[in-house]
Amino acid sequence: MEKQNILYESGNELAAYAAKQINYHVMGYYPITPSTQIAENLDNMKAENLHDITLIAAEGEHSAAGICYGASTAGARVFNATSANGLLYALEQFPVQSGTRFPMVMNVACRTVSGPLCIKGDHSDIMYMLNTGWIILFAHSPQMVYDLNILGLKLAEKVNLPVAIAFDGFFTSHQKQKCMVFEDDNVVQSFLGDKNPTYSLLDLKHPITIGSYMNEPDVMNNRYQIHLAMRDASTYLPTLFTEYEKISGRHYDTIEGYRYDDAEIMLIVLGSSYHTAKEAIDKLRDEQDLRIGAVTLISLRPFPKTLINYFPAARTIIILDRQDSYGAEGGNLSMEIRSSFYRKTHARILSRVYGLGGKDLFVEDVLAIIKECIHPRASLFAYYGITEGQIGEKQPEYFAPLTEEEQSPGITVCNYDCESRKMIVTSGKLSDATAMPMRIAPGHGACPGCGIPVNLNLLLKGIEGNVVVLFQTGCGMIITTGYPKTAFRIPYIHNLFQNGAATLSGVEAAFQELKRRGEYPEGDITFLMVSGDGGMDIGMGSALGTALRNQHVILFEYDNGGYMNTGYQLSYSTPKGAKSSTSHLGKNQYGKTFFHKDTPEIMAATHIPYVATVAESNPTDFIKKAAKAAAYSRDFGTAYIKALSACPLNWNDKPNLERSVIAAAVDSCYFPLYEVEQGITTLNYNPITNNKKIPIEKWFSMMGRTKHLVQEEYSDIVADIQAEVDRRFARLIARSENRLL
Amino acid sequence: MTDKFTLPITKENGYFEIRLESIGGLGANLCGKMLGELGALYLKLNSTSFSSYGSEKRGSPVKSHIRWCAPEKFLRLCTPVVEPNVLGIFHEALLKNYPLLSDCTEHTCILLNTNLSREEAAETYHIPHGRLFCIPALDIAIAEKSRVNMVMLGAITAILGFVPLEMAEELCKNTVGKKYPHLIEANLNGLRRGFEHVKEQRPLICSDGISEKNVKPDTNTHTIPDTTFPLNTKNPIASSTSYTWGYKNAPIGGINPRIGSTVSNDLSASREGYIPLFIKDRCINCGLCDSTCPDFVFQFMPGIYKEKECMVNMGPDYTHCKGCLRCVEVCPTNALVMALEKDYPEKPFDRPNKNLLTNQFSYTKHGPDASITGESYLTEQQIHGGVI
Repeated sequence: MEKQNILYESGNELAAYAAKQINYHVMGYYPITPSTQIAENLDNMKAENLHDITLIAAEGEHSAAGICYGASTAGARVFNATSANGLLYALEQFPVQSGTRFPMVMNVACRTVSGPLCIKGDHSDIMYMLNTGWIILFAHSPQMVYDLNILGLKLAEKVNLPVAIAFDGFFTSHQKQKCMVFEDDNVVQSFLGDKNPTYSLLDLKHPITIGSYMNEPDVMNNRYQIHLAMRDASTYLPTLFTEYEKISGRHYDTIEGYRYDDAEIMLIVLGSSYHTAKEAIDKLRDEQDLRIGAVTLISLRPFPKTLINYFPAARTIIILDRQDSYGAEGGNLSMEIRSSFYRKTHARILSRVYGLGGKDLFVEDVLAIIKECIHPRASLFAYYGITEGQIGEKQPEYFAPLTEEEQSPGITVCNYDCESRKMIVTSGKLSDATAMPMRIAPGHGACPGCGIPVNLNLLLKGIEGNVVVLFQTGCGMIITTGYPKTAFRIPYIHNLFQNGAATLSGVEAAFQELKRRGEYPEGDITFLMVSGDGGMDIGMGSALGTALRNQHVILFEYDNGGYMNTGYQLSYSTPKGAKSSTSHLGKNQYGKTFFHKDTPEIMAATHIPYVATVAESNPTDFIKKAAKAAAYSRDFGTAYIKALSACPLNWNDKPNLERSVIAAAVDSCYFPLYEVEQGITTLNYNPITNNKKIPIEKWFSMMGRTKHLVQEEYSDIVADIQAEVDRRFARLIARSENRLL
Repeated sequence: MTDKFTLPITKENGYFEIRLESIGGLGANLCGKMLGELGALYLKLNSTSFSSYGSEKRGSPVKSHIRWCAPEKFLRLCTPVVEPNVLGIFHEALLKNYPLLSDCTEHTCILLNTNLSREEAAETYHIPHGRLFCIPALDIAIAEKSRVNMVMLGAITAILGFVPLEMAEELCKNTVGKKYPHLIEANLNGLRRGFEHVKEQRPLICSDGISEKNVKPDTNTHTIPDTTFPLNTKNPIASSTSYTWGYKNAPIGGINPRIGSTVSNDLSASREGYIPLFIKDRCINCGLCDSTCPDFVFQFMPGIYKEKECMVNMGPDYTHCKGCLRCVEVCPTNALVMALEKDYPEKPFDRPNKNLLTNQFSYTKHGPDASITGESYLTEQQIHGGVI
């Protein structure tokens, strides 16, 4: 047995630790709760020079899976981690990975699949993977996450199939436990052996074609090869477990059973709940002399054939599903077990769906389920832990719906001037703008001093008339719509952030079509999408498509320079050099390594009628541009507005000073205020001619996330950023001086 | 510790459990992690720890759960700690709004961060059961330039009785020393003072309180107003929370037709001791405050100012003001100034939301009592050089 150290870590931390020890070549990832800590920890270790893994923060899970696929075809050892809708977004890539037979390891911190969006754990994501041709190993403890990460890679490379290591989000991913890890990274690496890829795209002496165009009967044969590889995995797993036991002292199997020999009642349960079940079983055996046992699956794919051997005396089998295959009267675990037990048992098989959306399963809950299920007339399928609801005291109507008239106080008036091809906005005075009713109610959960509601308020002050909003996933939606409450007084819809612009396109198209057919009353609506800068990373394609179709919508981006909702991972709009939880500061790293994304320029390149940047430090300009955007979206097509939005929590600065921090960003030319109207650029405020220009360092010194850059050792990086900011600004001036640019 | 250590006491289920109740920013999360490490790496037990949050927002309630068991016993439970052996309350203001004590048994050791004596605290907070210890952790932390969490850790160590102080010191050194070596001494002093303070104490046995049924946290039930953190039943506000949405009466698809219902949240607890004080005489109704307020608190109504019809600022809606003081920064005439909340129990010009159809509803409080939170939280922030 090899020497091991005790660590006190969570499942996520141990997945990262195993990856560090394996020293993968490449990790392509996209942050998603609750798996994010894996990449964060690896980035932190990278900053301290503890491994050489190239970590690539993709712009979405689909791309992350693509990065992983590409790297694996190049003969590299490849790692990924994801959850929930991230897994579903990447789903299309998984059969490509397995079908072309390139091994890799991906951790899945299991979480419920939206929508209604919920970040907590259940198994609804991992069950989507069952048909992808991936090996799926389920870890029920942090220790097992570590061990299966090492075992999994060896298995993947042995049979040339990718492996998913699944575990319970939050329960296993976040709870710390005492664990054993190999003291010497070399032990892990020699256990795995050298990477000898069967095929590599980079083997120039033996050029290969990967991803043939294939029809029947070859597809049949290709799929059958995957089936055979799964069989090989089944055959190889016991040997692998034995080998691993030799170095670790820890024994694993594809199935684990507990007190099952004489058990008349058997529970089948996945993940951390298996241990809860054991606790309940001991209690029932001790106190009521019930013959009861439990079993859990470690290997979901390949599905272990020997499972039935764990049920020698079973008369009642209770399958606990943490997920439902709606309409099938059981979750996928139930489907699998019932079909594999066909004609092999006479036991009554019951399914209970429990713990969705991270609902805790206490020992008392397991006892209650058992008690209910052993009743001879218990229904074969039911949900455990649902509530009917209660009609109590009548709840008040807090607000009346806003009428179009109320929402049209005439703060701004827009008139299009055909000659200059410009929208002329009159009025827009701040003191008058207080007359605009709030479309969003107070009582939302934003942090004190948060810039998002401030920007939304200014934006909405400039939009007269009816508004329908769509929020992409992000802080903005989380703080406003926590069930059972909502802050919105106007129609609101959320969709996941790779698809908001498209969704709103659909709403707008339906509105036009309904109106055209006379199925909708007269009147007009401004359609507004609100997104963070994260949403404009993963949702860039959707936003560009909407812009290229020139749909009649406003796309509004509040850019706080990071994925703040999930604990501040870098976004492509994060300033270069800024610290984040995926761009740590350390002896090997200075923060984010690449420049901030110039989203307005990307949007301007779609030649939509209106693109503008706004800042709360210039509120009148903000309101007027909002009015213009609304007018353009109604009469011409797509308008895009971007606001720099303060985040006191993650910028690490004082809430009360945020407006001056935003002003400094504008004055440093980092965030220039300009608009591109029908292709013609106007610089609305020039800090240089106003004698207000400040060096970028000044702005950086105001925020905890960039303060370190002011130190002497980072002067080269700051100079680099300053040069890029100045270059972008000089181009902007040139464009504002020449109508053709 | 050389030989195998045996837990002198465990609950019926074989576990020794600790729960910490705090608000974000006081370091309870780190304290929980350290207690978990203490169990796993120092006492060589099996150990687990995890935190649960109401929200990521500063000042929001935070719980930390720690569970130990014998090393030969597999640690099987991943559910929140109920009926803890030790309950550490980092912020006494939480007791006013949340039923933290509802699952205490007569065996629960309650450690309360307060300047009150045990007798005063038992009476003030109606401690129903348990063995009460009190410690002025904030004062000690300030005196020692340490943090509340280290003082509390020392005190918990003393309550445990079976962990030598030296072991906790070692833990503190290893945790703090990793990142902040220059802070070790101050934090060790905080830890020691916490230990000494409680070591001298005999617990006050509380048993004459109202015996409440032990409540298991249930996160499935949505009550309107929201009761993610159920309100203390002694709080009169709680009595009307009888309407809940379930599968029979909730609109399908999670659709929410109750427009603007967040207005029923009372967020005054987000404030950190200060309010923007409105001095109406100075106000020129320029609207800058309204343009910078993230919480939409300023109530502008049509009126007359300087003999002209215009929108007039009638005052802020303090129920929803989180005290960020953005408005104070932008006000050009000092019509909004920073003031200590405790000096203004009755806030002048407090204006409820002008668009509300009714005032016949109860607000859901979020977070501990604002006036208490604020000051102590601010002082806590003023202790320089602590660890988070």
